Amino acid sequence: MADYLVDEMSPYHLQMSMFVTTIREQGDEAQRNHWLPQIEAWKIIGAYAQTEQGHGSNVRGLELQARWDPKKKEFELHSPTLTASKWWNGALGRTATHAIVVAQLLLPQIQTPSIDAADDAEPRYVSHGPHPFVVRIRDQDTHQPLPGIVVGDIGPKYGYTSMDNGYMLFNHFRVPHAAMLARYSRVDPETSAFQRTGSSAVVYGSLTNVRANIIMHARLVLARAVTIAVRYCSIRRQFKDRDALDTESIPETVVLDYPTVMIRVLPLLATTFALHYTGEAMYELYRRSRESIEGGDFGSLAELHSTSSGLKSLCTMYAADGIEICRRAMGGHGFGGGSGLVQINADYLSKPTVEGDNWMITQQVSNYLIKKMTAAVEEPHMESKDALSDHFRRYLKQRTTARPQEVITSNGTIDDTALVEAFKWRAATLSYQAYQQRIVQKQRWNTLLISLHKLSRAYSESILVTNFHSALQNSPLSEPTRSTMRDLFHLYALHTIDSDARTFQTTGALSAVVLDAIPDRVLDIMTQKVRPHAVKLVDSWAIPDYLLDSALGRYDGKVYEELFQKAHRENPLNRVTFNVDWRSSEIVKGDKDSEARILAKL
Amino acid sequence: MAPTPQWVKELKPSGPQGHELLKQERAKSKLPVEQLSQFLFTRGGLERKHGILAILEKEKVFYKSQNYFAGRVDRFETALARAKRLRQLTVQHGWSVEDFRAATELISEPGPYGLHESMFLITLRDQGTPQQREKFYKPALNYEIIGCYAQTELGHGSNVRGLETTATWNAEDQTFTIHSPHLTASKWWIGSLGRTANHAVVMAQLVIAGRSHGPHPFVVQIRDLKTHEPLENIHIGDIGPKFGYNTMDNGFLLFNNVKIPHFNMLARFSSVDPQTNRYMRPSSPSLVYGTLTWVRSTIVMQAGGVLARGVTIATRYCAVRRQFQDRDAPEWEKGENQVLNYTMVQIRLLTLLAATYALHFTGKGMMQLYETNQNKMSQDVGQVGSAQRGAGPEETHSGSDLLADLHATSCGLKSLASTIAAEGLETCRRACGGHGYSSFSGIGPWFADYLPTTTWEGDNYMLSQQVARYLLKSARSVMKGEKPTNDTTQILSNFLAKSDIGAAFDVLGRDEDIVAAFAWRTAFLTFEALKHRDEQKKAWNDLLVDFYRLSRAHSQYLVVKNFYETLQSPSLTAELDPETVTVMYKLFRLHSLHTLENEASEFYTSSAVTVRQIQLARTSAVMRLLEELRPHAVRLVDAWDFPDWQLDSSLGRYDGKVYEDMFYRASEQNPLNAITVDPYPDSPVLFKKNDSAQFKSKL
Repeated sequence: MADYLVDEMSPYHLQMSMFVTTIREQGDEAQRNHWLPQIEAWKIIGAYAQTEQGHGSNVRGLELQARWDPKKKEFELHSPTLTASKWWNGALGRTATHAIVVAQLLLPQIQTPSIDAADDAEPRYVSHGPHPFVVRIRDQDTHQPLPGIVVGDIGPKYGYTSMDNGYMLFNHFRVPHAAMLARYSRVDPETSAFQRTGSSAVVYGSLTNVRANIIMHARLVLARAVTIAVRYCSIRRQFKDRDALDTESIPETVVLDYPTVMIRVLPLLATTFALHYTGEAMYELYRRSRESIEGGDFGSLAELHSTSSGLKSLCTMYAADGIEICRRAMGGHGFGGGSGLVQINADYLSKPTVEGDNWMITQQVSNYLIKKMTAAVEEPHMESKDALSDHFRRYLKQRTTARPQEVITSNGTIDDTALVEAFKWRAATLSYQAYQQRIVQKQRWNTLLISLHKLSRAYSESILVTNFHSALQNSPLSEPTRSTMRDLFHLYALHTIDSDARTFQTTGALSAVVLDAIPDRVLDIMTQKVRPHAVKLVDSWAIPDYLLDSALGRYDGKVYEELFQKAHRENPLNRVTFNVDWRSSEIVKGDKDSEARILAKL
Repeated sequence: MAPTPQWVKELKPSGPQGHELLKQERAKSKLPVEQLSQFLFTRGGLERKHGILAILEKEKVFYKSQNYFAGRVDRFETALARAKRLRQLTVQHGWSVEDFRAATELISEPGPYGLHESMFLITLRDQGTPQQREKFYKPALNYEIIGCYAQTELGHGSNVRGLETTATWNAEDQTFTIHSPHLTASKWWIGSLGRTANHAVVMAQLVIAGRSHGPHPFVVQIRDLKTHEPLENIHIGDIGPKFGYNTMDNGFLLFNNVKIPHFNMLARFSSVDPQTNRYMRPSSPSLVYGTLTWVRSTIVMQAGGVLARGVTIATRYCAVRRQFQDRDAPEWEKGENQVLNYTMVQIRLLTLLAATYALHFTGKGMMQLYETNQNKMSQDVGQVGSAQRGAGPEETHSGSDLLADLHATSCGLKSLASTIAAEGLETCRRACGGHGYSSFSGIGPWFADYLPTTTWEGDNYMLSQQVARYLLKSARSVMKGEKPTNDTTQILSNFLAKSDIGAAFDVLGRDEDIVAAFAWRTAFLTFEALKHRDEQKKAWNDLLVDFYRLSRAHSQYLVVKNFYETLQSPSLTAELDPETVTVMYKLFRLHSLHTLENEASEFYTSSAVTVRQIQLARTSAVMRLLEELRPHAVRLVDAWDFPDWQLDSSLGRYDGKVYEDMFYRASEQNPLNAITVDPYPDSPVLFKKNDSAQFKSKL
């Protein structure tokens, strides 16, 4: 919690997340007993070194080698190329003493003895894919890199300035057999044989955990941006109402009353709650999967992996784009340091490409959906093991006969169940189309990537809508609040539909008549139902001023006083007086050497 | 910091090498890059750029290597040193305005003299009387006084009429008292004000005998010319760090009853008669707004190039970056796939590449319209216009159609073009994957500096109302049966004439039908909005979202039309060979059909196209265009002719040495690596060793 409130990426961050998690999940008992106490006592500081300069999303393409030496019973870590340099790894640049290093495991090929082969010939090595190793990288006393290792900070980034993301190269660097984390796979030190005790996909387990965290984090980040935007836009006034009869005496209009501002900010407010309920559901899914993996059942990994991929892609996009939308909704002051959105925006912008690029990883979702659909088509009558297969089988039965959902009933009310069904129907139809294109017509994967990306998005949206809906069903909230939550549910769902009306129509999920009625309905929900509660709704996220660190988003609304305070009193530039005469080489008044000093730094 | 070991220096990126890949890319296409560059920028423009580049590159003060590393105060100091040197070079080489602009584009960072050189000088020139120009403009031109333009305040931006700073006329001693009655009256965001300017043009509410006459410009000295300290009763400072633009000292400014002489009110268009104490307005104020129109036209003109920088970097990098094997590749085709071969990368980058060309041609068209208008205006100064702006939503100037058309066009296109450029840059950054997040990508810092363009000179959302107002007015005149006088009224009349019989545009077969379909959609949305406003009497406020969409639709039409007209122009076929012309047509189709597909629902509700056509546009036409344009991608960005020095990007290097350059910058130029930390939380020592000061001076 303290770390969350300080809201700055600490160089120790990886210690508490990827470093310890990986050892806990992928170390065998002896390794856990060896490392965990040292980590907990902060005797060692860790980093997690997976991505390289040349490879990120494609983990199987990593170039760093871990070559097993059967004679000395050691691994030799070696970077054969420049692109094999570890890159982007947090806490590695200046801080870490140790790192989890992911490297291609190379083992000598076990050969049947041949008469021709000379005994001492160099054995042929084969790769067994990427595996994690725990490596000490810096000296305990001097904190200098150990011989054979070159490590440093990769330089400035868009944000994340307080974190020392690093690079690292190895030159035939040796580590003991125990360095390889051996819970799911190991090298037999006697026979040099590769042994596997679980699914290879388990390597991605920690990554999936990180993704679940990313989704929960996304909702908080978005809630912060929306809190600031809603508060500031309900204080900021600009222009008088053009339709007002008496333009002299009325005050200027509150910015949040403009529909052009509402349409940007209020659907995002609804989105924060949508993300919240799905985040909770994700944690539950992750917890259940971990339980079954610990119990030796790896079956749930596929669903976990694909669901987490699709949601990670959608939720981080919502949050990253949402921050920027909020920032712009605040006009000029949004660009200033006092908005509180500059650092969060810059820091958060890494998320759409980190831990699986948002465009790349949607392939995993689509791949999974196509597999599920194929199974449903091929065996329509088999009993379904999970909700998705069941839905697909039902979809196939009704595919040719179903009618579009009447989400707005004849008396004008919204049918929540029909709304959820519309999203599910659209996702199922798009899955079926993808199945047709890929499996039946055998179209090239590459030409399908764009529609597969859309499929992933549609599926993830249906998860968000479903979770939001079921949370409302089981909600402990009292009545007036519950009905406002339902308005937010409608706003999120209808606004999402309006943004992609075309696929709802072409998949037959909704009729053109319904789609035409939606924009006015959205405006109505925003102005009548959500706008009056907007400030209280953001207050309910209970984000303290200390965390917001924003003049515009202050709880007490003292926006302008705080902006001035920050500019005037907390700004080091205002302590310097410059010589602005272009003929003078003096840059800072009274500092004759200032030009030479500046040139020396360039 | 330990020197880089030999074994590291010897390492190469895994093959194939970046420079080989870009060489192959350039070999795949025969597009004549030089010819295309000349068509875009003219031979003279290119020669100017490269001449000035040769001068700048040699000057140490312009070295860019530490730009991404330095903190705010250091960056500002350096920016001031650069601004001075740039002025010295301008005098030394006798550079023209165009030369100077080319130099600032190459340097690519906002400088402390920025607002002096633009708004301060322009306002003195355009709004001062001959005597005032003599007293203020002349010394300003020689940098004897340094100024800024202080309009926006803490509490007011877009709504200029709401400004709170007052300038009260004192009849007894014939002076004005400039005063800030509230904290929100503080001038805010004013470029070059925070630490640099010693003068300001201050926009303040003119008050005569208790009556306000709206905002007017006053010249006020704000700092001592010797000590450079603020004058008495004036409080000034820098407003602090921002998203970008940190080499600029945007400032705040408060006045405590500061007196200035009568002479200092810029009086070309309105003044106070010192004898009678009466407010006088001798001439049309439209010219005042001419300055803003010019600024907006410039934004439209630059948007293509702004975006092209991001597209150049991302396209080159995605041709060098390889990730995953193609799932459907035959066994023998080993190795990973270039990221640019992925259709989901192409749909982002190649469509933006097409947009850069579309925006460039639109910008040129916009500038022509502006110049035509200026010529016409200077012929009939004093005949146009009432002064009351914004009294009612429908009240517009009685001035010429051309002026109204220019104003609406500049507002709509500024909004659309800067939105496309800003969002496009972020798309480019994300298309570069993880490395796009590094400052060395060159996209992030550039994006951050560009972002304020979407909210300044008229917020992109606010501006759309001006476009809607103009379109509604035009539609009313068409409804009354008035003859079309320009393109806007022409497309509205066409729509009205055919609205009963409908239209069938062959958008997939005929290029002119694409333009017609965009026109049809604009007209449809205009008449819909008119129905809401005039028949259903909906509140203006409730229609704002519709107006934003309408403005966007109209501006998209203008972009498509300008692109098409450029393709039809005789200069195109004269200057480009037939193969290049074919590629240009493909870019036009990609841009238009991709836009059409994104805005699909408006196109089919207006019946401009059928649902089937939209499906085909997406699944077949756009996909085919991506495939056909893919081989030309690198040459098409090369044609934008950005020198590496200007891009300052590891990922976007012309020679493709992406990884070598990233590694070099990280390990050789990075002062953080000269620091050894004490990593243990219980130790009070932060840095065991800090050689970063020596490290910097060593470079």
